[in-house]
Amino acid sequence: MTTRVTADHLPPLPDDVSYDVIDRGPNTMTLSIGPQHPSTHGVLQVVVEISGEIVTKAEMEIGYLHTGIEKTAENLFWTQAATVIERMDYLAPVSNALCYLLAVEKLLGVTEKIPERAQHVRVLLVELTRIASHCVWLGTHGIDLGAITAFWYAFDIREKILDLMELSGGARMHPNYLRIGGLASDLPDGFLEKLDAFLASTPERLRDLRVLLQNNPIWRDRTIDVGILSAEDALAWGITGPSLRACGIAYDVRRAYPYSGYERYEFDVPVRAEGDAYARFLVRLDEMDESLRIVRQIRRDLQPGPIVIADPKIVPPPKETIAISMEALIHHFKIMSEGFRVPPGDVYQAVESPRGELGYYIVSNGDNRPYRVRTRPPSLYNLQVLKKIALGNLISDMVVTIGSLDPVFGEVDR
Amino acid sequence: MVAAGSRCAHDAVKITSGRNERTNLPSSQTPLPGSCAVDPTSVRPALDDAEVERVERGDLRARLIALRQAGASMLLDLGAVDYLERVPRFDVVYHLLFLPVSGAKIADVACPRRMRILVGISADDAMLPSVVDLWPNADWAEREVFDLFGIRFEGHPNLTRIQMPADWEGHPLRKDYPVRGFVGEATPRPSFASKSNVPAGTPPSGRVAEALREQVSRATEKSS
Repeated sequence: MTTRVTADHLPPLPDDVSYDVIDRGPNTMTLSIGPQHPSTHGVLQVVVEISGEIVTKAEMEIGYLHTGIEKTAENLFWTQAATVIERMDYLAPVSNALCYLLAVEKLLGVTEKIPERAQHVRVLLVELTRIASHCVWLGTHGIDLGAITAFWYAFDIREKILDLMELSGGARMHPNYLRIGGLASDLPDGFLEKLDAFLASTPERLRDLRVLLQNNPIWRDRTIDVGILSAEDALAWGITGPSLRACGIAYDVRRAYPYSGYERYEFDVPVRAEGDAYARFLVRLDEMDESLRIVRQIRRDLQPGPIVIADPKIVPPPKETIAISMEALIHHFKIMSEGFRVPPGDVYQAVESPRGELGYYIVSNGDNRPYRVRTRPPSLYNLQVLKKIALGNLISDMVVTIGSLDPVFGEVDR
Repeated sequence: MVAAGSRCAHDAVKITSGRNERTNLPSSQTPLPGSCAVDPTSVRPALDDAEVERVERGDLRARLIALRQAGASMLLDLGAVDYLERVPRFDVVYHLLFLPVSGAKIADVACPRRMRILVGISADDAMLPSVVDLWPNADWAEREVFDLFGIRFEGHPNLTRIQMPADWEGHPLRKDYPVRGFVGEATPRPSFASKSNVPAGTPPSGRVAEALREQVSRATEKSS
């Protein structure tokens, strides 16, 4: 809660001094925050105009992290492009990969053939990524507000998820484990045991996180009624994800347009009506619990089975067959050296990434490389609304507002 | 692009007909092949659950206003595709989302609907009406399309570059924009020698010179 100092609250002044300083309206100051500032969550520059401590204008400068991923992807094979696309949203690489793969699979017409085990594992990893991403958000958001203890709890959970990622694909941040047609390899031995240990310990850790912050008077004072976003504004500004659901609109791509078998799982879509930073915090906390619920269902339903479609023109043959089968060797060589061709067409595919509706509009001209990969980055649109909701708030609340929108600049700038 | 010869002693390398003059090799600045004479958007029916509609440039604004009033509450995305050899050359793609939201405080979204509006424009007159007044989030999206494709939006409040630096030349996502090579190949990387701040042929000085003199005198003592 913010209290505005007005002339009425001040003690009486001597006769020869006036309140002119407070009353002077157009006396503003321009201040640049960032791009190298820890609480801008990346490289964001905000040029704010302040009158006293009240923000009267906020203009943002982005593009400091532009790496031309869309252009790069146009010049790689369909399979290779997934590798750079994972680097867009570096806190949720699997969500990016999944969205791209689903779009390519639609173009190839193999969506119906993806084996059940592959679908389960894909959703498993995406939901784990969601928990990890929200943990990073909560940890860093807490540090911005001076609550450093939550950071260690949150990063402890994330560390365990990164261990699971490492087991699956070999890398912690960008496993590149999902492939067109299924998965790169089956889950290794010991993965499920580690997952069980994770499932056993995490609910308690999430409860600890909640206890640390949810009723913390300082946390509540800093976040309640800060950065309020109305439902109408949220729709007009293209806000999606937890930030939209914190304004009272229950739009979740997993529900509205189920993909990769989401219709099989039971989960709730957490919604709050207040639209402030505290509501966004609560929605994300609840989402972590729901993700755990989905992971538990997958653990229950996961059965052995094939992990890729049986199409040697798209999926390279297993490594062990290459030494004994001439045909396998040829297929492997062809896919590795010139990729495969995707029938011409265009498709829009969206998934619910931790930040909102992540979409890919992909055009193929029948070549072995994507003709155009256009990303619908949720962070770009979520961040843009800052220039509206920062107005009239205190400059010290700016940090809270930016943090609560959870932008990731790899995705904003691409 | 940095002007040739301003900072670097090397002469600018001229590129004629896709070959580097100095090396007579295909220039790395030549755009990669890959074009679209046919239109991939028209070869098959829509693969996703969005309604697809192609409108003429002149009708675009009226159509979008009508859709906005009909309940297209969210502009999901605004992007562009460069088809290079097709006529018209560019497609600008508007992704709209219809969210039937009830008046309740917590609104359940019954059945959302996606829509995709495609509009083709040619390269020599790449101009579209802006929709910032309909959906404020079109601001950054239109700036990005302008920055990376060079398509202008009439009525945009601040149509400047957003991802690339303000003084950048060219529009990187156009298909004829090169992928590899240094900017214009006019300023190749200086060799290591020219990076040193000591000009070639300068006699050694200081401790190096002392050590050298000592070596020379020792050698002359031995020989004499």
